Amino acid sequence: MKPILETRRLTKFFGGLTAVNQVDLIIPENSIASVIGPNGAGKTTFFNCITGFYQPDDGEMIFEDRSLVGLTPNAIATMGITRTYQNIRLFTNMTAMENILVGQHPRLKASWIEAILHNPREKREEETAVVEALRLLRFVSLGGLGDQLARNLPYGAQRRLEIARALASRPRLLLLDEPTAGMNARETSEMTIFIRRLRDELGITILLIEHDMRVVMGISEQVTVLDYGVKIAEGTPGQIQRDERVIEAYLGHGAASGLNISADTAAA
Amino acid sequence: MKVGLQNNLRLGIVFGIVMIFLMLIGFNLIAANLIGSFFNTGDADVLNMLLFIGLVGLWLGATAAKQDNLWLSAAINGAIAGAVCGLGLAGMVLLLGSLFEAGVTLSTYLAQLVPSTMKAILFGAAAWQAALVNWVIFALAGALGGILSYLLRLEGWRKRLSSIWVRQRASTSQQPIIQAIRSYPRSRMIIYGLGLVVLFILPLGLSQYRNYIIILTGIYVLLGLGLNIVVGLAGLLDLGYVAFFAIGAYTAALLTAPQPHHLQWSFWVALPIAVVLASLAGVALGVPVLRMRGDYLAIVTLGFGEIIRILLKSDLLTSFTRGPQGVNTIGGPDFHGLSSGVGFVYLIFLSILLIILVTTRLQNSRIGRAWVAMREDETVARAMGIDVVKHKLLAFAIGAAFAGLAGALFASQNRSIGPEDFALMVSINVVALIIVGGMGSIPGVIAGAFVLKGLPEILRQLQDYRILTFGALLVVMMLIRPEGLIPSRRRRLEIHEDEPELTEGTTAVEGGKA
Amino acid sequence: MIIGVLFIFYLVYRIYQLAAHPAYGPDTWLRFAISGLILGSVYALIAIGYTLVYGILFMINFAHGDVMMIGAFGGFFVFEALDAIHVPSTSNPHLTFLNAYPVIAVLLAFIVGIGIASLTGYFLERIAYRPLRRAPRLVPLISAIGASIFLENAGQLLFGTQRRDYANPTILERGTGWNLAIGSGTVVVPYTGVFTVILSCLLMIGLYQLVRRTRLGRAMRAVAENKPVASLMGIDVDSVISRTFIISGALAGAAGVMWGIHLGLVFSYVGFIPGIKAFTAAVLGGIGNIPGAMLGGLFLGGVETLGPPILGIGFQLKDVIAFGILVLVLIFRPTGILGEVLTEEKV
Repeated sequence: MKPILETRRLTKFFGGLTAVNQVDLIIPENSIASVIGPNGAGKTTFFNCITGFYQPDDGEMIFEDRSLVGLTPNAIATMGITRTYQNIRLFTNMTAMENILVGQHPRLKASWIEAILHNPREKREEETAVVEALRLLRFVSLGGLGDQLARNLPYGAQRRLEIARALASRPRLLLLDEPTAGMNARETSEMTIFIRRLRDELGITILLIEHDMRVVMGISEQVTVLDYGVKIAEGTPGQIQRDERVIEAYLGHGAASGLNISADTAAA
Repeated sequence: MKVGLQNNLRLGIVFGIVMIFLMLIGFNLIAANLIGSFFNTGDADVLNMLLFIGLVGLWLGATAAKQDNLWLSAAINGAIAGAVCGLGLAGMVLLLGSLFEAGVTLSTYLAQLVPSTMKAILFGAAAWQAALVNWVIFALAGALGGILSYLLRLEGWRKRLSSIWVRQRASTSQQPIIQAIRSYPRSRMIIYGLGLVVLFILPLGLSQYRNYIIILTGIYVLLGLGLNIVVGLAGLLDLGYVAFFAIGAYTAALLTAPQPHHLQWSFWVALPIAVVLASLAGVALGVPVLRMRGDYLAIVTLGFGEIIRILLKSDLLTSFTRGPQGVNTIGGPDFHGLSSGVGFVYLIFLSILLIILVTTRLQNSRIGRAWVAMREDETVARAMGIDVVKHKLLAFAIGAAFAGLAGALFASQNRSIGPEDFALMVSINVVALIIVGGMGSIPGVIAGAFVLKGLPEILRQLQDYRILTFGALLVVMMLIRPEGLIPSRRRRLEIHEDEPELTEGTTAVEGGKA
Repeated sequence: MIIGVLFIFYLVYRIYQLAAHPAYGPDTWLRFAISGLILGSVYALIAIGYTLVYGILFMINFAHGDVMMIGAFGGFFVFEALDAIHVPSTSNPHLTFLNAYPVIAVLLAFIVGIGIASLTGYFLERIAYRPLRRAPRLVPLISAIGASIFLENAGQLLFGTQRRDYANPTILERGTGWNLAIGSGTVVVPYTGVFTVILSCLLMIGLYQLVRRTRLGRAMRAVAENKPVASLMGIDVDSVISRTFIISGALAGAAGVMWGIHLGLVFSYVGFIPGIKAFTAAVLGGIGNIPGAMLGGLFLGGVETLGPPILGIGFQLKDVIAFGILVLVLIFRPTGILGEVLTEEKV
């Protein structure tokens, strides 16, 4: 399958620290892939490079045959890559509906002059946007909550809203940064099912950062492991579970020997 | 009973310091005269002064005894506070009075204490007598004030009054007439339309002077609404807005006045040119300052405003701008029969309507949403595909364009302008009027302009203390109501972010309304 | 980039021109330089005040220049009062306290000036800033602007619009000093100027030691870094902030008295432009960075006096130079020359 995103030797320094070190990653189109690793492994930095917040110091990033290096974050968003955040970053003083409308920004075409003139084309575009926003709200099970302030929504709803906002621009690649953080078992499994729906129904490629192994092993088709910025393993969930280096990275040196890995983590 | 002692002392000292300060700046004479005109006691200085001191004493006593449940302790607490304040004031009166009687010309050091003022302060008597009187009156008034507050239970009254007000409002809105009007589909438009008609007929009937006040306030409303786009909508704190005002004014002036360039173009030609130039200046300023954070942006724009003013005044550009002399005999539009006063009022009204339209339309479009998103979280806004640079420049350009419009109108209405018309205070005034009125809200900005510009013109008696009050008002507003007089809903949310906000249920969302 | 290169070219051209056809003799240049040094040390003192407050509260104390004004007036009144006290003397029938005991007079002037300036700084914080500590940044800024306007106008109402002359004791008379023969003329190294520079340096060194070595200094740095954690460590954050304002006010007050002694003119708006320039200096050196503020002040003083003659433009525009530097620094190097002590995350 054609890769939708490919990074080659991606590297990012912060002063003396190499946060991302020569990482090669290929994400096949329409797949669900995960990036995992201990805290501080460079996963969020990796996301930030892809979305344009950091400029990589070396290496390439190619999205659908176009290079992402040097592009501004808004250009990258317009190309079809959006993300959610580890600690939810909604527009807290805006309503749910308004958050989603902002998310649609790249898709709306009216210029400021048309906005001032409020001509029929702009009017129609706005009305369509609202209809679409309502649809997205229902899609993430937030129907009827459009007028609620984002900061008044319960935690799980906020996470779903953030995803709805990221979906509003009809992205091709969606980056989810720890989408199940702070969720209990039931919510986690609901989120897992939801993520799969995104791929199945909307045809979006998903790249996940996750700590919850049930989620990772449950839905990922490909798992990449980072440790101290270096890719130490990559493969299917099953392969990763048995990989010695991965075990050592998580549990410490020497842990690989003398451990029995049970295969009871959910099968796909 | 003794619990309040420290409190009373503090209250007394604070009031004492304030009273001394007011005396030193000569304010108590003015206040006394104001009170005199209110109570119709005429120009009897002594009586007015006594009244003034007495009233302040009452207020002090009432504040000191707020919590008291026994009339005796209320009186004592009030008396203590009053005595402390009075002591301080008396001491100062004694000191200054003695110096005055010894022949020292106080006014060389304390400019307001000219002999006539001193005589009034001393009640026309000897220094020690005046001091004593001050002290005694304060102590007594304090006691009385305490008793009064106990009797009236002012706190309780306030609550009762406000609940009556709320109930009355609720019952009026239930009235069938009001309901009928509200539900009538175009009712809002009709009301606005009627208001507009009234506004348009009004200037024809008013005097020249009243029209002048309206014009002045109107120009500030225009400036305020323009800056509102930059500060209120896009969240960019511009303290140098006057620069665009100046560019618009000077462009119009230099193009229509016979000196110094011997161009005498029509006003209607100069106007759009002024607007465009100001707008370009806005973009030019915007480009370098885009990446700065709040405080720095404020200072840089302030610096820019000052640079423009200094350049306009300097010898360097005198041949171009006529330096400190300014430009005279600026051409104005031909109003075909209407007096120029009235004509300008109409022009300003139309401009204000225009900017209200532009602001509202932009606010409800994706541009407006982009601005709010940028204000909330610029990083995330960028990740949503918003070109932050473009939107900031847009805000700057549109805001500057309206400042240019205001400038051109100002120049031709005033007939002459000079560099000192564009001092930093103008920028600060406009910022203040937006903040005090309510940032981001159109009625708020208009209210702000009226309070800060219209009111002082009417209260001419307080002329000398205008700026002082202005400064104090800014601080006080920030302390008690930072979101402004009539804030936009969003602004109130932003300021009180830590408090839970209840939304008014779910209503059908109306998309695309103007 | 291009503008920078062009500017350097112009500068080199001007320097060559000046060397070949000097518009001013070396004595005049020395005079400019001395002037710049003195002005710079005053700016430096005020700049430190800005940087201290910004470092700890992340706000620009807009009213800081007016605190300097209050200090200047304090010193003014002391001199006036002492000049009115007659001291009996056989040699000089008009001898006043001011000239009889000049050292005490100057000391008193500074004590009073510093004293009321510190008080003003303290009350400023308590009334206009402390209640607004949690508000969005715009709110305390407006409050500061309001306070500044209030102070300036109160000063004008209290003391009048007339510009006042500082009555220096005769040994410290403005304009007197050591005469140096340089080139074709004589350059006067003014006593007031030397006094200003030395005192400034002493105060700056004192402050630096205070921040680096004392408990208060450590507490100030801790509060600047991270308020909640500092308070968890047992530091009384409110008290530290108050004391920072007092110190910053004291420095401004001293600067005000020096301004009066050396430059002579005091009036209620005297603090406005030096305030902005000192802020420029603080930013130039890296806001939050104390040595940076000192260097920034000195640099700005020098540029302001030497700039116009070097660039060949009128002295009227010296303020434009200061503002211009401000704008350029904030655009191209907002972290300042010595680098900012604060990072974006903290803001």
